[in-house]
Amino acid sequence: MARKTTTETHWSWIWYLVPALAVYTLFMALPLFRSLQLSLYSGSGFQIDTFVGFDNYHRLLREGTTADRFWGAFGHTWIFFAVHMVVQNSLGLLFALLLSSRNLKGVAVYRTIIFVPATLAIVVTGFLWKLLLNPQWGAINIVLSKIGLESWVQPWLGLEGVSLVVIALVSSWQWVGIPTMIFLSALQNIPDELFEAADIDGAGRWSVFSKVKLPLIWPIMGVVMILTFTNNFNAFDAVFSMAGANGPPNYSADILGTYFYRIGIAGEHPVGIPDMGLGAAVASIIFVVLFLGVLVMRSVFRAESDQ
Amino acid sequence: MKRALVLVLVVLISGTLFAGGSGEKDAAAAETVELTFGSWRTDDVAQMGRLIAAFNEEHPEIAIRFDPTNPPDYNATLRLQLESGIAPDVFYARSYATGAELFGEGYMLDLSGESFIGAAYDDGSRAPWQAGDRQFAMPLVAVSHGVYYNKEIFAELGLAIPATWAELMSVSQKIKDAGIIPIANGLADEWDIAEVVWMNIAPGFIGGRTARLAYESGDRPFNDAAMVSVFTAMGSLAPYLPEGFEAISYNDSKALFLLGEAAMWFDGSWTVSEFEASDPDFEWSVFAPPAPAGMKQQITFHPDAGIAINPASEHIAEAKVFLQWLSGPKASAVLGNELAGFFPMVKQPPTLSNQHANDFLALNAGRGLDVRFPWPLLMSGDPSGYNLIMQGSINVITGRMSASAAADAMEEGISSWYGPAM
Repeated sequence: MARKTTTETHWSWIWYLVPALAVYTLFMALPLFRSLQLSLYSGSGFQIDTFVGFDNYHRLLREGTTADRFWGAFGHTWIFFAVHMVVQNSLGLLFALLLSSRNLKGVAVYRTIIFVPATLAIVVTGFLWKLLLNPQWGAINIVLSKIGLESWVQPWLGLEGVSLVVIALVSSWQWVGIPTMIFLSALQNIPDELFEAADIDGAGRWSVFSKVKLPLIWPIMGVVMILTFTNNFNAFDAVFSMAGANGPPNYSADILGTYFYRIGIAGEHPVGIPDMGLGAAVASIIFVVLFLGVLVMRSVFRAESDQ
Repeated sequence: MKRALVLVLVVLISGTLFAGGSGEKDAAAAETVELTFGSWRTDDVAQMGRLIAAFNEEHPEIAIRFDPTNPPDYNATLRLQLESGIAPDVFYARSYATGAELFGEGYMLDLSGESFIGAAYDDGSRAPWQAGDRQFAMPLVAVSHGVYYNKEIFAELGLAIPATWAELMSVSQKIKDAGIIPIANGLADEWDIAEVVWMNIAPGFIGGRTARLAYESGDRPFNDAAMVSVFTAMGSLAPYLPEGFEAISYNDSKALFLLGEAAMWFDGSWTVSEFEASDPDFEWSVFAPPAPAGMKQQITFHPDAGIAINPASEHIAEAKVFLQWLSGPKASAVLGNELAGFFPMVKQPPTLSNQHANDFLALNAGRGLDVRFPWPLLMSGDPSGYNLIMQGSINVITGRMSASAAADAMEEGISSWYGPAM
């Protein structure tokens, strides 16, 4: 009797996968495939029916202004990602270490404060920070000049090279709660015996961190890194809400997300006719970069955690 | 007391019942055709409601639903609607190539045979919505451009309206010395520096419409001395813009001018009704963009919105009735007064009751008129003339580029795709 049930369930589990598989195929795999296919076509507006092979990719990577803007956006996206890796994730780890220390009072309050920005819409935080950074009535410049740092007063969002970093910092501020929570839960999962053992062996704070905590949260770091990578290679809203679709000034804050929006969705102002084939090519390149990036990161973190 | 109340109730209820039962009204309602009316003017819902109400006084059988789209998404949304067969019956049409392209693909009804269009609009007004000799949309409204100024500040400092660029510079210096921001414009949103500053002043520097035609035909290169002088003028504005102008957005500029922090502002006539709504007591007016000494002042009077009929509409006859009514004197009067700052393009313009709209219109007298410089032919390539003007202006104002380098970039960029033969 018991035997029979196991053979039956052996095959019936497949049916449980069907709904998820159907949804995944319909809403993820199929559009992805269609988008890859679309990148090989050209046409006007939304009627993309002329097969052009890799011409869209050639234009994107090699030809004139289109290519200049693409490579600009490509580079800026890496900067945008790097700022998040360095600032957002280091701060996240630091906050998690502080919050997990046993003699800190009011953990719940700090945890809430750190996490609150992540619950707000980027349109709200973008607008808020635009006001704070406004050169005429923004609080940041007023505070800087009040404390005697007049020379630091800058039109932060209007300077080439600076605006991208400022936007990335605002975005890091907004999302720092996510890595903090992930690291915190990882740290809280470390069994107390390990700390006791380390204590008995006479390990200092640094050795506890580097020899006990760090190796145990290493796989989680991989997860955080992959999340940061995928979120920021797809980023769009932070730049769009704080600087606009062109990534001003002079396209210096243009990232792949805004570039894709201009090419594939909205078209260049004011004509506004999108080139969907070219847009699909941008999307496909973003997909390939993400895919390879995640593969590399996974292998790195897996190898390290297997040791 | 209670009885009286019951009586009132009975009267009220029977009143509504009888009113609802009147046979005539039902018959009319059954024959009503509803047209959807697409537009990019989300700000004008109330005004358009009044326009439609005026239309319905004469044509109760045609109901019209005004259904505008967010301006930056309009072109893409409209195209998607047209291609998937869910587009409005009548819709705002962009002038020149952007509109003509949709017509070329068969998404706008050919209106060449409609004699009421020729009767109401002259050749110049119809041209922006013509592809070859075919009329793809009926002209509706134009917008003007100028320099807004704060009357109080000008009176306090005893300043005269500048007519030449040198006068504008000296007026700006005096305002700056008085501790007020001379010019409210900034660079953060990018489009405004091109559309409301460069395209506002350029006709005065290059010599208006005839000069534009000479650039377009290839008789003048885009980096000749006149073009360099436009970019030089752009650069000369830098000291008079607000501190941190690199990050001042269009809305920031608007606020600076409205709050009296800045004395002047380059902008278009479309802001008239917004200013009147935000602060009715604010004393402001407009002057024409100054030209270099010895040059005639020019006004950029730009055909903004035409109106086209969807050939896939089930109610083409009704749509034509609506268009014909729009071309008439009553509609022009309602349009011009409801949409202050948008000027009906009919041959006999209506008298406007709005003072600020009249101020704008008065600038046209005795000055040359032309459309925005890149609109007719220079918009569709990559890099577009629009983008080269925008980036060139920004680079000159921030000092990253010299005026002649910006003009050279324009010549090089445009000639990479545009030829007069095309």
